[in-house]
Amino acid sequence: MPPYQGGGDMISKVTFEKTTYNVLPYKFEAGTPNVADAIGLGAAIDYLQTFGLDNTLQHKKELLDYGTQALQSIPGVKIIGTAQRKTSILSFTVDGIHAHDIGTLVDNEGVAIRTGHHCNQPVMQHFHIPATSRASLAFYNTKEEIDKLVKAVYKAKKVFE
Amino acid sequence: MDHDTRTELYQQVILEHNKKPRNFKKLENATHSAEGYNPLCGDHLMVYLHVNNAQTIEDISFEGDGCAISKASASMMTSTLKGMKIEDAQKLFEQFHRLVTGELDPGQEENTLGKLAVFSGIWHFPARVKCAILSWHTMKGALEHQQTVSTE
Repeated sequence: MPPYQGGGDMISKVTFEKTTYNVLPYKFEAGTPNVADAIGLGAAIDYLQTFGLDNTLQHKKELLDYGTQALQSIPGVKIIGTAQRKTSILSFTVDGIHAHDIGTLVDNEGVAIRTGHHCNQPVMQHFHIPATSRASLAFYNTKEEIDKLVKAVYKAKKVFE
Repeated sequence: MDHDTRTELYQQVILEHNKKPRNFKKLENATHSAEGYNPLCGDHLMVYLHVNNAQTIEDISFEGDGCAISKASASMMTSTLKGMKIEDAQKLFEQFHRLVTGELDPGQEENTLGKLAVFSGIWHFPARVKCAILSWHTMKGALEHQQTVSTE
């Protein structure tokens, strides 16, 4: 297979008559490798291991359960996606308020969420909704931050009363 | 950005137009129409116009799905443009475009925006400017005989 691009390290010998490529994998890895990302990945793994993967998963599960309860307790809020073993994200709609308005108003209270069709228009069509608001919970999030989100959703509802 | 500037986006007049959008219907005798779409956020609307021989917008309406900002903007646009000469509507488009991108300060520069000046704070929310301008681009597209208009 010919190389798809040229650059440093991918050749063994070049003359006017003939080019000999380097052995695999170098033949396909022209130029300076992505050193910064490789080091960054190592640092990220070290960082995660200071918490431990089991603890991280446990914490996210607790946040998900807590957040599900808290959001469901708000009148007019519906959680979209309720699989038993889902990852720690909470996608939801609020009756009568478009997700983009929720996003701006919640952002106003210091909570960053994602809104829109999440590059998933067929799913939106399936649920007959234009968009959802989505809180993604990571291992560094806290229950207090979920309380802050809930409070912000109540406040947004008040604006649209 | 301070807290007041942010909450100012949802002013009473915008909330009211969102709740009860004006001219929210299909226009059966439309001479011009276009579909406006923002694929990135999913806002989607149709704008219909009935333009008479005197080049006046005799009637205008819209239908569609979107956030409060896009719905209120479309509603206020139709209320403002009804009865207006095409030429004046195009001038107003330019003014509104400059308003929502922060280039026109209605307090400093002479303009014919009237109630539309309520959208003057939106340039503080770059992600929401497209919501406010979608219906206007669609209206302009309809007058220029484009069938679909995308703001992405």
